[in-house]
Amino acid sequence: MGTGLIVIWFLFSLIYLFLREKRKPVRILFLYIPVILLLMFFNPLIFRLAARYMGNEILYRILWLLPVTVVIAYSCVLFCGNLTGKMRGKAAVLAVFLIVMSGKWIYGNEYFSKADNLYHMPDSVVHICDAIEVPGREVMAAFPLELVQYVRQYSPVVCMPYGREVLLGLYDEVCEVINADIIDLKELVPLTRERMCHYVVLSEEQKIKGNTEDYGWEPFLETDGYVVYRDTEVPLEIPKL
Amino acid sequence: MFILAALLLLVPTVVGGLAAGMDSGIMQNRSAVLFRWTGGQMILWAGFQVICVPMILAQRNFTEVVVLYSGYTAAMVILALAVEIRRRKRGQTAKRSGGLFQKKDRICTLLWVCAAALLLLQLVQAVRLTYADGDDAYYVAVSSITENADTMYLKHAYTGGGTNVNIRYGLAPFPVWIAYLARVSGIRTVSVAHVVLPAALILMTYAIYFLLGRRLLAGRERYLPLFMIFTELLVLFGDYSFYSAANFMLARSRQGKAALGNIIFPLLLLLLFMMLERISEQKKSRGADWILLCCTMTAGCLCSTMGTFLTVLLVALTGLCAAVCYHDWKVLLSVALCSIPCGCFALLYLMA
Repeated sequence: MGTGLIVIWFLFSLIYLFLREKRKPVRILFLYIPVILLLMFFNPLIFRLAARYMGNEILYRILWLLPVTVVIAYSCVLFCGNLTGKMRGKAAVLAVFLIVMSGKWIYGNEYFSKADNLYHMPDSVVHICDAIEVPGREVMAAFPLELVQYVRQYSPVVCMPYGREVLLGLYDEVCEVINADIIDLKELVPLTRERMCHYVVLSEEQKIKGNTEDYGWEPFLETDGYVVYRDTEVPLEIPKL
Repeated sequence: MFILAALLLLVPTVVGGLAAGMDSGIMQNRSAVLFRWTGGQMILWAGFQVICVPMILAQRNFTEVVVLYSGYTAAMVILALAVEIRRRKRGQTAKRSGGLFQKKDRICTLLWVCAAALLLLQLVQAVRLTYADGDDAYYVAVSSITENADTMYLKHAYTGGGTNVNIRYGLAPFPVWIAYLARVSGIRTVSVAHVVLPAALILMTYAIYFLLGRRLLAGRERYLPLFMIFTELLVLFGDYSFYSAANFMLARSRQGKAALGNIIFPLLLLLLFMMLERISEQKKSRGADWILLCCTMTAGCLCSTMGTFLTVLLVALTGLCAAVCYHDWKVLLSVALCSIPCGCFALLYLMA
């Protein structure tokens, strides 16, 4: 729920409903239940018990049961509706102003960006996966960290030696070497071969120590700032369909 | 695309005919279509949950789920059409009531235009913008793998190796439902998850808010557009926390937990509100009302394993409050019966 003013408006709205709303069904659902839920959530005993079975990290979802949006919107309407004449319009404008000032514009979130395509995946992932996919079988490819979370959303037949878990802190040797400032092929190639990587995707900007051709890596594709290498030492049999 | 539109809009609306008897008041106005749409989706989601979870635990093929669920959907459509024909023969069709646009009320019309513009903005942004969320690397990948490999939760989503069913995820197969939509429509799974579904679910969320607003503002419908504008602004300016339901709604709509927070919980509030009104008016509650509530709770289990516990918590608390406030203790028995499917899924979760 955050700690913004929206929480304050929600509490004010509950008080307003307590004073003005007479209908029992409304009072039960939008006043008593939220209060009981808040008391439960902030009760250390109940919190500990719930955390034990549900897990600490997702317990905040109990707060989703609080009808914050409906309670604030309804209270605002009720408040405006109880005024007369021009005051009604002024109160509505004030409520809009308070909501806008208290919240944060969702599309201003840094994780939003214009979609590259109708898959909502980076163009680089689409182009690389389309190029390395082989009909009738899976392929193994190592990707730079920034692409890891998209690859298997777009193409379930492209497998990876490491996945999103490395972004969550899990150590992986291939990932460590491949995402270093200077990639040492002497170190990387045995690791990717051990994991049977048919392809290795590197950023064009990454510096490479060693000659790729000496290690049996053939440039396969250059696209969107990435170079895809095919490791000829790792067999890739194409099944007859 | 036509198939997807039919699966997400038309089929639930037809199936929702089974839920239309929930409240006679709903039948007498234009909200009937929205109520049918949302109610129908709950009946379908509940069915999917009941069919899919045992199949996942038994490690059966996804194609079998597709066949069984398609059969269930077809059966529900036929049943709903039969009920509709019977209803029409009895003359119980929806009556048209006064429009939402009050005559000669320019301000009301202007407010509706604003509300519609805000909604359109969100739908356009859902298609135009992408949100980079790490959890998609699991959920959307599971959908893609399921559709492609014909297995459910038996491949590692992040890397592609073989794995065992993780019960925490297997009990809430919302990604498998997305795979079903992709399989039946022929549209690539990633597009269904990231583009089509968010638009449909955002629309459904506001449909529920509209229905809730209409109930809350009964007799004062001219304030409904204002209620919708406030609601939309609270969602649009809901990025005050990474964990707010509004953030999940617009940024991570394709994830089951977003549907739980923004569709299941508000719809449960609507259904409970309608039931409390009936108790308040000393009308006898009907079995159909409780069945729809039960379907919605089961649909909550499909969205997230947390839904299993939270839907029961909300309904149980409401039942307790109703029992105390109205001295109607029988309501607790109905609440307990409604919670049986959720209880079963919770038991599976706790046993795992």
